[in-house]
Amino acid sequence: MASNCPECGSSNVVEDDLYSQRQWVCEDCGSVVSEGHLTTLLSDETQGRDVPYHASTEVVKKPCRNLIAGFVRVRALCRILRLSNAMESEVVSLFESAYNLPNFLHVTLTKKEILGGCCLLCVCRQRNWPVSMGTVGYLLGADNSAMGTVYQELTKSLNIQATTSGITDLMESFCYEFKLGPKQVEEVLSETPQRLLDRVSALIELAADTWIVTGRQPLPLIMGSVYVAWQSLNPMARMKYTFTTFCKIGKVPEQSWRKSRDTALKRVNELLEVLCKLGRELPWLRGVAVEHNTVATLVDDILKHRRALLLRAVKNYEQQLQNELSETQTTECDNDPSESNRSESSSSETPAVMSSDQAKCENPADEEATDCQLPPTHWGKRHLFLPPCVKSCKRQKVDVPQLEVTGDEDISDSEIESYIRSQDEIKLYLKAQKELKQA
Amino acid sequence: MDEEAALENYFDQTIAGSSDYIFEGDLGLQGPAPQLQDSSFLPSLTSQEKDLTEDLDLSFLPDELSTQDEPQQAENVNNNEDSGIYTEGPPREATEANTYTMNLACPLDLKSIALQARNAEYNPKRFAAVIMRIREPRTTALIFSSGKMVCTGAKSSEEQSRLAARKYARVVQKLGFPAKFLDFKIQNMVGSCDVCFPIRLEGLVLTHQQFSSYEPELFPGLIYRMVKPRIVLLIFVSGKVVLTGAKERSEIYEAFENIYPILKGFRKQ
Repeated sequence: MASNCPECGSSNVVEDDLYSQRQWVCEDCGSVVSEGHLTTLLSDETQGRDVPYHASTEVVKKPCRNLIAGFVRVRALCRILRLSNAMESEVVSLFESAYNLPNFLHVTLTKKEILGGCCLLCVCRQRNWPVSMGTVGYLLGADNSAMGTVYQELTKSLNIQATTSGITDLMESFCYEFKLGPKQVEEVLSETPQRLLDRVSALIELAADTWIVTGRQPLPLIMGSVYVAWQSLNPMARMKYTFTTFCKIGKVPEQSWRKSRDTALKRVNELLEVLCKLGRELPWLRGVAVEHNTVATLVDDILKHRRALLLRAVKNYEQQLQNELSETQTTECDNDPSESNRSESSSSETPAVMSSDQAKCENPADEEATDCQLPPTHWGKRHLFLPPCVKSCKRQKVDVPQLEVTGDEDISDSEIESYIRSQDEIKLYLKAQKELKQA
Repeated sequence: MDEEAALENYFDQTIAGSSDYIFEGDLGLQGPAPQLQDSSFLPSLTSQEKDLTEDLDLSFLPDELSTQDEPQQAENVNNNEDSGIYTEGPPREATEANTYTMNLACPLDLKSIALQARNAEYNPKRFAAVIMRIREPRTTALIFSSGKMVCTGAKSSEEQSRLAARKYARVVQKLGFPAKFLDFKIQNMVGSCDVCFPIRLEGLVLTHQQFSSYEPELFPGLIYRMVKPRIVLLIFVSGKVVLTGAKERSEIYEAFENIYPILKGFRKQ
C-alpha cells in the first residue's frame, strides 16, 4: 500500500487493526492513510464458506426432531402399559442409545417406531414384566414379523440378553382383559378374575404337560383356555355360547381375537381332546362316553386330580401297547378274535372306550379317513400325548435312491444335448415370443 | 446283591415321588434338575436292567427305561450315552443340500444362453442371472454374466455336487462359450435329522440361554447357535433338527453328537 503519508510525508506507515478493520496508519502524525472494508462484498459472500457444524464451537448436539418424537411415543407406550417410572426411564435411555446406532439411524420412520416398541420389550423382559410381542405390535400397528426382525437386530447390536416371557406370565395380564366381572355382565355369565385365573392356569399347566404349548403362538392358546375355563365354571348355562360370542361378551378388542380366531378354535379342540382322554380315566364314570361337548362338566374333577389321571392314562396306554405287542407276536394278524381277547384281558374301567381305541389302531383307514395315521413303526405310537405336529403326518418323504458317484465320471454327450434347443426350436420360440409381445 | 440295592435306591429316590418326577417343572420353571439327575442314573442301570426285567414289572417307569424291554433295542442299550447316531429310534440323518460356488472363467451372454438352453430361465428385471436346472443329480444353478456360478440342491455327497458342477460347465461349453471348471468350493451344507422324541424347548432356552433363541411368537423352532463347531441348529418340538452352516460333513456330525445328549436331557414322558 502507499508508503508515504499524505499529511506529513513520512514513510513510516504501519498496518494496524482497529476492531478487526485493517488500517494503514502513519506512525508520526497518526493519520489514517487507508483502510480495509468492514463489510463483505457480494463476491466474498458467494465465494465464502459456511462454517460446518463440526468446526463450530457448539458443544452439545441438539436432538433431531424424529428422536424427540420417538421419545414422546415411547413414553406414551410405557404409560399405556403402566410401567413404573424407573422402567420408563430405562426404556427411554435404551431407545436413545439404539437410535444412534448406524443400522437404525437411516431407516424409515415406521421402523424407528417399531424400534421404540422393541426397546420397551427388551426392558420388560429383563425386568420380568410380562408383555408379549403381539401386544406391543398391536399397539404400534405392526405385525410380528416386522417386530421380530427389528428386535433381533437390536439384541444383536447391543448384546442384550433377554429371555422370552413364559406363557404363565402372560396369562395373568390377559385374563384381566376379559371384562367378565359381576357388574359388567349378567350374573350367569360373570366370573371374578381370580377364579378365572386359577382355572386358566391349571388348564395351561395341563396343556404344557401334554405338548400343546411348546412351539405355538401363546395368545391364541391363552384365548382358547380362557374360553374353556369360563365354560367349565358354569357348564349348564354357558355351553351354548360360541367362542365368538364369548369374545363379544367379554368386550375384548375385536382386532386381537379376529385374526387368530381359527387358531384359537384349533387350540380349544386340542385342549378338549386332552381333557377327554383324561376324563375317560375317571374311575367313577364307568363307561360313560366322554366327548367334547360333555367334558365341560367334568373339567373341575379332571383338573383337581390331573396328576393322577395323567399317570393313569399313560400307564393304561402303555399296557395296551404291551398287550398289542404280545398279541401280534403270538397270533397271526387276525382282527376279530384278537380284538375280543384284548377286550377281555384289559383291566381298564372303561372297556367300551378301550376297545374303540384298539379298533382305531387296527383300522386306521376306516376310522379316521381324514386324519392321517402314523405308520405302525413310528416312534410316536409309544406316546399317548404327543405334540400335534408329530401326529399330523404329511406326505412321507420318498427317499430317492442315492447314486454312487465319484464326481469324475464321463458325462455323456447325449445327456448334455438334451438340455440344448435345436435350431427349429429356437425359431419357434422367438416367433412365439414376438406374438406374445404383440398381443 | 449290589445290583438290586442300586436299583432299589433308584426306585426310592425317583419312583416314590413319581408324580413329581414325571410331570413337575414341565415349563422349565423349576429348572432341568430332575432331568439331569435322571440321566446320571442310566449308565449304572443299563447293565442291570437286562438281568432284572423278568422279575420286575417296569411298565410304570418313564419311557426311556421301559423301552429297554423291547428286544430289538437290547443291543443298543449300552450305546445310549455314547454316540447319538445309533441309539433307539433310530435318529435318522440325511444331508439335505449343499451349496457351492464355481468359476467358469469366461464372460457369458445370458440372453443367448437363455435362448439356446431348454432348462434355463432368465428374467433380467427380476434377477441378473440365468437359472438353470439339470435332472441328474437334481440341482439348480444361478449363472452370472461374469462367469461365476452358484449351485444348490445336490443331496448327500460332495461327489454329486462335483458331478453336477461339471455338467453345468459342459452345457455352457456346448452353447459356445470357452467355459472352464475352476474354484469349485462348497459354501454351505444343510443336514436334517429326527431324534424320535418330543423336546421341551422352554427348558432348553432357560439352561442354554447364551446359545439359544426361542420366540414362539415369531418361529415355532428354537435357534441354537453352537460355538464349536460353528453350526446353527433349528430344533423343533417334534424332535426334528435341522443343522446348517457347515463347510464339511464332519461338522454336521460333530454338531449332532454335541446336541444329542443335551436334547435327551429335555425329553419327557
